[in-house]
Amino acid sequence: MKLKVSVLIFAAMVFGFFLTPVCQAHTPLCSCYDNGDGSVTCEGGFSDGSSAAGVEIRVEDGTGKMLINGKMDDDSEFTFKKPAGDYKVAFDAGEGHEITVDGKEITE
Amino acid sequence: MKHVITTISTLAILAFTVPAFAHFQMIYTPEAALTKGGKIPLALVFTHPFEAGHTMDMGSPEQFFVVRSRGENEPKKTDLLSTLTPINWTSLTNSGKAYETEYTARGGDHVFCLVPAPYFEAGEDAYIQQSTKVIVNVGGEPGAWMEPVGLDCEIVPLCKPYDRWTGNVFQGKVLFKGKPVPNAEIEIEFMNHKPLLDKKAFARQASAVAPQDAFVLQTIFADDNGVFTFGIPKAGWWGFAALGLDPEGSYKGKECSRDAVIWITAVDMK
Repeated sequence: MKLKVSVLIFAAMVFGFFLTPVCQAHTPLCSCYDNGDGSVTCEGGFSDGSSAAGVEIRVEDGTGKMLINGKMDDDSEFTFKKPAGDYKVAFDAGEGHEITVDGKEITE
Repeated sequence: MKHVITTISTLAILAFTVPAFAHFQMIYTPEAALTKGGKIPLALVFTHPFEAGHTMDMGSPEQFFVVRSRGENEPKKTDLLSTLTPINWTSLTNSGKAYETEYTARGGDHVFCLVPAPYFEAGEDAYIQQSTKVIVNVGGEPGAWMEPVGLDCEIVPLCKPYDRWTGNVFQGKVLFKGKPVPNAEIEIEFMNHKPLLDKKAFARQASAVAPQDAFVLQTIFADDNGVFTFGIPKAGWWGFAALGLDPEGSYKGKECSRDAVIWITAVDMK
């Protein structure tokens, strides 16, 4: 019984979390930098300072074909080998929380 | 005789009308809230910012470092002392020894901290040492801007110092060795002449005119908890200096005013 109650409380908390207006005020953020050594590092996060660890990252070529797929590490970073041609980086923290960064805008 | 009296009174008037000005240690960079990372210039100048007046010669700083933090990541301290290059900074009245550097900023908060060498102020037969902070954010992702960095004399912001609109208030807490300083005296100056980094000089053009000397240097006091509040009337850089935080402050056998300075910006809503 006790367990059931805590499960219910947990479920209510999770539900409540998604309903809180704070959620509306948290915008996804993702900036990528050319490390100058053939690699690119993307830093993800949210405008309220919450972590983006585990958020999915996709690197796609100019035609939208997926080249690299991974997740933000514990420091909300993802480093990958810079693709040869046109590319873009998609930071996907769920619906309404997606960001695409064009490779042309990624500089040192 | 009449002539002598006139001369004496003229001298007396001159002596008493020296404008009220405050020494302010600056860490200047053009933007506090950057959209994208990259190289940012920094200039360290010890001056009288409202009037772009007399600029003092800085000695070799004791400490200059940055604490970078992004989201929930652990803040990381990087020493920048060895990156400083001596320069001469030109004010409207003189030129003084200052420093410049460049820093490559990525996302999050960057708390730049300077502990300058104590400056000997002959007029007061005492030293001044202003520990100074400025916080630069890249990309809008916050970090540990609200955390003390551990300077002996420090102002900790209670509002994001880079997200203020003109007309907002700015609140800060004055700390000495980590403890709040009740009723600390705080002097406030507006950076009234734009620093021109390429010329290493202040622009001649002022952006505001003080109707009387009291307005050049505003004074407020912190409350019993060391917290102060200031309504920001104009866009640009504002400096806050909490004075004489160390009751036993001395250097080379003379009195030393150990102060904490923070610079913040406000932006017009357009």
